[in-house]
Amino acid sequence: MKKSLHILGKVLSWLLIALIVAAILFPFAVMFFFSLKTMSEIRSPDPSLLPDVAAWENYKIALQTGSWGQYFFNSTFVTVIVVVISLIINSMSGYVFARLNFRFKNFLFVLILAGMMIPPQVTMIPVVSLIRSVPLAGGNDILGQGGSGLINTYSGLIIPFIAGSFGVFLCRQYFVSFPRELDDAALIDGCGRFRTFISIYLPLGKPVLASLAVLKFAGTWNEYTWPLVITQGDAMKTVQIALTNFRNESEIRWNLLMAATLMVSAVVCLVFIFAQKHFVNGILTGSIKG
Amino acid sequence: MSRIVRGHRHTAVSNVRRGETLSAWLMLLPFLIFFALFVIYPLVQNFIYSLTNYNFGPKHDFVGLKNYIQLFSDEWFLASLKNTVVYAFFSVIFLTGLGLVISVMLNKRSRMVKAARTVLILPYATSMVAVSMVWLFLLDPTTGYINKLLIELGVSTLPTWLNDPELALPSLIFINIWKNLGYCMIIYLSGLQNIPTELYEAAEVDGASTLRRHISITLPQIAPVTFFVLITNCIEAFKTFEQVQIMTQGGPMTSTTTVVLQIYRRAFEDFRMGYASAIAVVLFGIIFIMTVINLLLFKRRSEDK
Repeated sequence: MKKSLHILGKVLSWLLIALIVAAILFPFAVMFFFSLKTMSEIRSPDPSLLPDVAAWENYKIALQTGSWGQYFFNSTFVTVIVVVISLIINSMSGYVFARLNFRFKNFLFVLILAGMMIPPQVTMIPVVSLIRSVPLAGGNDILGQGGSGLINTYSGLIIPFIAGSFGVFLCRQYFVSFPRELDDAALIDGCGRFRTFISIYLPLGKPVLASLAVLKFAGTWNEYTWPLVITQGDAMKTVQIALTNFRNESEIRWNLLMAATLMVSAVVCLVFIFAQKHFVNGILTGSIKG
Repeated sequence: MSRIVRGHRHTAVSNVRRGETLSAWLMLLPFLIFFALFVIYPLVQNFIYSLTNYNFGPKHDFVGLKNYIQLFSDEWFLASLKNTVVYAFFSVIFLTGLGLVISVMLNKRSRMVKAARTVLILPYATSMVAVSMVWLFLLDPTTGYINKLLIELGVSTLPTWLNDPELALPSLIFINIWKNLGYCMIIYLSGLQNIPTELYEAAEVDGASTLRRHISITLPQIAPVTFFVLITNCIEAFKTFEQVQIMTQGGPMTSTTTVVLQIYRRAFEDFRMGYASAIAVVLFGIIFIMTVINLLLFKRRSEDK
């Protein structure tokens, strides 16, 4: 009796897992199969998931609807720059907070923790107005008046992404677990602090740098709100903004939209599947902050 | 002689100190500049803007608390606050509850379980824009796939989903749960793995059933993690914008407008930056309170240990 109850429980829990996995996969399956259908198939009441004939040319047509080469370039460029700059300045600051002593260190660290909790949605308006009034950029005078500043430029797109303090915290948490003897040995060998950081902490810090890179990559590539606010016109659009082009047509061509959505998402999903460990570790370290 | 040596050592130590301070500030400098200019300063500036009639123009006047007073009679803002609270409440209940149940079931070592976990995290890695587009198609009243399936099942009065003021917000909540379940699972699983296995072994010796073991061991042991998941999801829910902007634009009527959508509309469509800043201050206040509660409980938790 007890044993059969146990088996029933097991079966039920596997059933629930199967149900949830199916519910998670279903939209992805729909996205893929409908990207291969023709519009007349989509309009017909036929409920089959599989397309009659796979219309692979939808992907080509989707990419030709608007300047997708430009959109992909914009997203890639912004993401790569954000990842590289973040890795450099965040790991450097993380090392300082983990190892060096100086006045105001604790105060600054609290400020950086607090900074992680400031939602970008709250500071959006002053940041836009700051970006707009960068002196001597985009037709501005020396006081930052008269032009559009860094609005609708790559710099404007990139800057707010590298200002966040999450990466500093992430690196600090990792570096602080290194044995202090490493520093002492380096100091005795005559290494300065910066040399110690470059030749010891950076090579040993590869796992945390990988986590930071993956999280920053996904965060920047997937971002919608900031590019929406800061870009104007077609030339500066990122892939996420460009997807909404299809949404604004009078009749939405769902097959093309699904094809484009799949291509835009595939990039992050692939990175994520291959670097799942780093992704998960990054989220976990970041969440210990409470 | 000894005095000279001591003096010498003293300068050597202070030289090292000074070198340390200098390298510290030099290495921090690049980050600090960005952080000060684009995180700290805007937070302060936002408070100042909220007391003015700023509209991106070169001049703006101080208007005192006028923006805040106006909030109380702004039916769009009040609706957005109500929607956001409802959205956060139901998202959080399901994410914390369902997330825990799934994580307990997936807290095993097998290849199947590993594959299931990967699938669950997939929506979390996908952008909210992409997620919104797929669900926009699934829920489309005429060409959408879900209604097609409902027709096949013989349902006669088809729901219009996002076009129905009653169903639009629940649909958005469902999508949010669908997207963020994987995040909750990651956090829960790490918490579950920290529960000492001896506790379960002892309970098994005592003859406690699986359900019994989860109720009297897992639940109390995972409580702090549960609270963390609850608060972080709540904060995220209060920041909801992309989903609404892409899928419903806040409609039908006021049924899905959210606080951040109101900030965006007032600021970048009406150019009433001062007023939008006041809404942003309210949002910051709400998130700040939740963060402080979370921190206090986290502190108590680590002191208990």
